[in-house]
Amino acid sequence: MPLLLKRKGPGLIRFVMLALFLLGTLLPFYWMFITSLKGRQEIYGDKLTFWPEELTWANYIETFKTSNFPHYFANSFIVSIVSGILVLIVSILGGYSLARYRFKGKGVIMLLFLGTQMIPVIIMLVPLFIAFSELNMLDSLTSLIVTYTAINIPFCLITISGFFQRIPVALEEAAMIDGCGRLETVVRIILPIMLPGIVATFVFAFTAAWNDLFFGIMFTTSESVKTVPVGLNNFVQKFDVNWGEMSTAGILSLLPVVVLFAIMQRYIVAGLSQGAVKG
Amino acid sequence: MSANVKAAVSPYPKKRFFRRMEAYLLLLPALIIIAAFFGYPLSKAIQLSFMHYVLFEPNNIHFSGLDNYKSILSEDNLPGILFNSLIWVVLTVGLQFGLGFALALALNKSFRGKNVYQAIVFLPWAVSAFLIGMIFKLMFSERNGLINELLMKFGLSDHAVPFLALTGTSIYPVIAAMIWYGVPFFGIMILAALQSVPKDVYESADIDGAGKVRQLFQITIPYIKPTLILTVLLRCIWVFNSADLIYVMTNGGPANSSHNLPSYIFNKIGYSTDYGQASALGVMMLIFLTVYAVVFLRATKYDEAGDI
Repeated sequence: MPLLLKRKGPGLIRFVMLALFLLGTLLPFYWMFITSLKGRQEIYGDKLTFWPEELTWANYIETFKTSNFPHYFANSFIVSIVSGILVLIVSILGGYSLARYRFKGKGVIMLLFLGTQMIPVIIMLVPLFIAFSELNMLDSLTSLIVTYTAINIPFCLITISGFFQRIPVALEEAAMIDGCGRLETVVRIILPIMLPGIVATFVFAFTAAWNDLFFGIMFTTSESVKTVPVGLNNFVQKFDVNWGEMSTAGILSLLPVVVLFAIMQRYIVAGLSQGAVKG
Repeated sequence: MSANVKAAVSPYPKKRFFRRMEAYLLLLPALIIIAAFFGYPLSKAIQLSFMHYVLFEPNNIHFSGLDNYKSILSEDNLPGILFNSLIWVVLTVGLQFGLGFALALALNKSFRGKNVYQAIVFLPWAVSAFLIGMIFKLMFSERNGLINELLMKFGLSDHAVPFLALTGTSIYPVIAAMIWYGVPFFGIMILAALQSVPKDVYESADIDGAGKVRQLFQITIPYIKPTLILTVLLRCIWVFNSADLIYVMTNGGPANSSHNLPSYIFNKIGYSTDYGQASALGVMMLIFLTVYAVVFLRATKYDEAGDI
């Protein structure tokens, strides 16, 4: 028996751990999901139920009828996708430079990028708010797009630069000897190899923009430019936390991220292990 | 480490100039954006921190020296908020790290359905802090909250506890939510690092008769140390700077007892609109962080840690 335990022990521990992590992860999602399917009386009633006694879609119907939710969705999509793409462009350009050239001031520039991570986002709120109001750019998706692009660039650029470093220079040199220009080499040979890393970086920038709350609260006031978190936030104040509709809106706001994540997560881990884990 | 692709020497001086500047030109967009969105706000915040600047008093904006700093340092709330900031970072990052490491170790072996499993357990990382805050608020609520129900069912408590309304301890449920949110990030980073450790090192350790535990401490951890150090450093900074979960779950209440520094600043921006004081607090945060980062990197000897 002890021998059996010794052989099976590690596998058993692994299994139990994996099961516990799964349970711990799913429980909050599950709770939100079943709350969205409960009726008002059941949510606020005296007895707590682990499965809706009376399953109802009322919250979903109500959410679509009374809120601007589809609109918030569209805004979040525009903002996150555009800023994600902009982050990629700027980061690929700069990351390539940091990885492949030797030049004066490189150390300082690296330090500058790392240093930006130390600046609390919360102290940038007020100056940017003032600047955008002077430029008459408040209450627009543009202000959110450029802000999210900017705050995601340092981390993404350093990450991408790490991906470039992992790719042997010889590969590039060989292509250039074959007559490819530098741009052609990078676009046709290097970037495809780096695809997992690029996808991982995009997902990072996309989710960061999709999930931001404070810039959204500060910069937007009209319904037409609100993003999902800001819309949800208002939702709470307006209804004094209507848990049924809150959970419904929450489940809906999760869907795009879940789909994106499920498709991309393989690339994310592959991308990160390709390099750049050092930062 | 980075190799240098030498620019071919060109006989045309103008072309040579562009070749020489290429590295800078490629970095230019990033540098401009950083100057505009980090440099400018930072210098503006430092400037504001020395000014009387309340949004409600547009005609009374003036230089006020160290007044903002003085009034912050003499605030009664400050010691509690500093303490909260400390336990917020230490508990959150400590537990996220421990759990994330365990998760990564458990995942560092292939099994059936691993991709689906990963997609699920990494999911919290992609969820908005707002939503996480709401879910946990619902679960921790006094009336009909899941946590209270479970506590009473297992006989750990005989009455429902208003977790989010207890002065002095209402920050702990928020910390629990924050840990849940951040375990996947550590899991992903550490798993990625684990996968970069060459397999043959373990094979030779097996032959030498080193047990799994010894392999963990003598091979794995030293090998991935740079990742661990950098991940912990960055997470500490991000966690220290993050306020949204507190804003959503307790909004600092009751009576400011669950604020950390950034959520308190956000509160100041929103309610008193005292941008001067808010900026002064922000500048103080930045000073803390700088000291922390320097001390942390020295203490962990990051420079001497092995290159991956």
